[in-house]
Amino acid sequence: MRNPAIILAPMFAVMLAGCDSQPQVTFTDVSITLPDDPIDLPEGPGRDAVVENCTACHSPSTMLQQPRVSREKWESIAKKMIEVYKAPVDEAAIPAIAGYMVAVQEADAEAQRP
Amino acid sequence: MADTATQSKSGARLTRRALIAGASASGLGAALAAPALAQKLIDLGLPGGPSLRPMEPAFPGKRDMIVQRIRPPLLEAPMDAFREGLITPNDRMFVRWNWDMPTAVKAAEHRVAVGGAVKAPVSLTLDDIAAAGEHVEVVAINQCAGNGRGLSEPRVTGTQWGNGAMGCAKWTGVRLKDVLAKAGVKEGATRVRFAGLDVPLTDGAPQFIKSIPMDIAMRDDVLVAWGMNGEALPLLHGYPLRIVVPGWFSTYWVKMLSTIEVLTGEDDSYYVAKSYRIPARPITPEEKDFDTVSITTMPPRAFITSHADGGVVARGKPVTLEGIAMGGDAALAKVDLVGDGWEVPCTLGPDEGPYAFRRWSVTIPQVAQDLANIGVRAANATGAVQPEALNWNPSGYARNVIERITLRAQ
Repeated sequence: MRNPAIILAPMFAVMLAGCDSQPQVTFTDVSITLPDDPIDLPEGPGRDAVVENCTACHSPSTMLQQPRVSREKWESIAKKMIEVYKAPVDEAAIPAIAGYMVAVQEADAEAQRP
Repeated sequence: MADTATQSKSGARLTRRALIAGASASGLGAALAAPALAQKLIDLGLPGGPSLRPMEPAFPGKRDMIVQRIRPPLLEAPMDAFREGLITPNDRMFVRWNWDMPTAVKAAEHRVAVGGAVKAPVSLTLDDIAAAGEHVEVVAINQCAGNGRGLSEPRVTGTQWGNGAMGCAKWTGVRLKDVLAKAGVKEGATRVRFAGLDVPLTDGAPQFIKSIPMDIAMRDDVLVAWGMNGEALPLLHGYPLRIVVPGWFSTYWVKMLSTIEVLTGEDDSYYVAKSYRIPARPITPEEKDFDTVSITTMPPRAFITSHADGGVVARGKPVTLEGIAMGGDAALAKVDLVGDGWEVPCTLGPDEGPYAFRRWSVTIPQVAQDLANIGVRAANATGAVQPEALNWNPSGYARNVIERITLRAQ
């Protein structure tokens, strides 16, 4: 004859699972469609360099929202993209990229002046 | 096929041009000014500008959000999202992705690998995770380390958030320690590192992986969560699973969790060792040479939500100010309304736990004059108090200066 405890043990486990009424979690397949980026970059010298080297990763909207910083800061940001993020940025294009950002920010500051 | 692509591309370009005209005031220069289209913009009051941001395009499952970036998405909640209650609805919670996110997840195929310094590495299905332990609910604030960066003076580069990169939700999941127990943590473990499905856009760029110390990982309220305010975690918030670390900035709340790795030493990965760091001591904006430490826990903060800067209040009448406050990594202890040389204690609302928003209110019996430069100052149970002056740092992290507004008496 088997020890009743051995039979009881699994029954007890089943009862525990029954009492342990954790809500059932159901995971389903999920997908979404993200919107396109509707904002382009204004015309200006160096725009091509920015389009070729920056827009693959950066929304133009983000670039245009940055606070005004110096040409040197823009150059150091572009260098950081190459060094840290391994971005395929043409180093020879950095002066043109920085020049464009400085010019766009200057134009923007002009536009905001009353 | 090629023709269709070209057409749709030029169509998109036309749309972009049209929107540029509409958004010229938002920072595209006078040369592009044209009759404005009806584009909904919001002014974040960022010192020196550009300060206007679009409230579109719409994102799935979201409404009335400030679009800081479209790809990868950066969405901020306008302050009106915090005007009522303590819980931020899922459709108003801020969104922040460092790298491009997948836009589809197949539940049956998703796995969470638990490895590193463990006794037996495992690959867990979503059902395995849900069955890993007791289901736990935690009400906790999710706040970007850079929340309020755009308000820094002097300004710093990075995502130019106002103060809406935060929200409070009820998170449901299992304890991280129960998931770790599936693999068994080895002796000598120091940290637990997380990775998600988001991957860098460029080869060789650092993956967005983050780690927390072992003692934090073993906390009873640190979760592998699938629920957000009683619903499945939306994809934009990291479906199917994200880490929840109450009291810590959301950079550690890794989304679309796919890997849990137990470490035995320091974490030398980029987003821990090189990024998301603050000066180890207060510095001036001119200083370049200083040690840094990882940004980890949140300090106390408080906001007025009933009135905006420049608002009007009735002279000679009482006025009630309301808002939200948080203790950060400890319970909120106290909120005071502060002005120039005076302070008034505020009444605190319902308590949903140490890591949740708490509402506050205070009534000024009679408004005699403009309420100039008023703010609210939170203090937490450890004695941390919001400072009068910004603790400036080059990345604009952990802003918690007292936020001040002026209300005009009329």
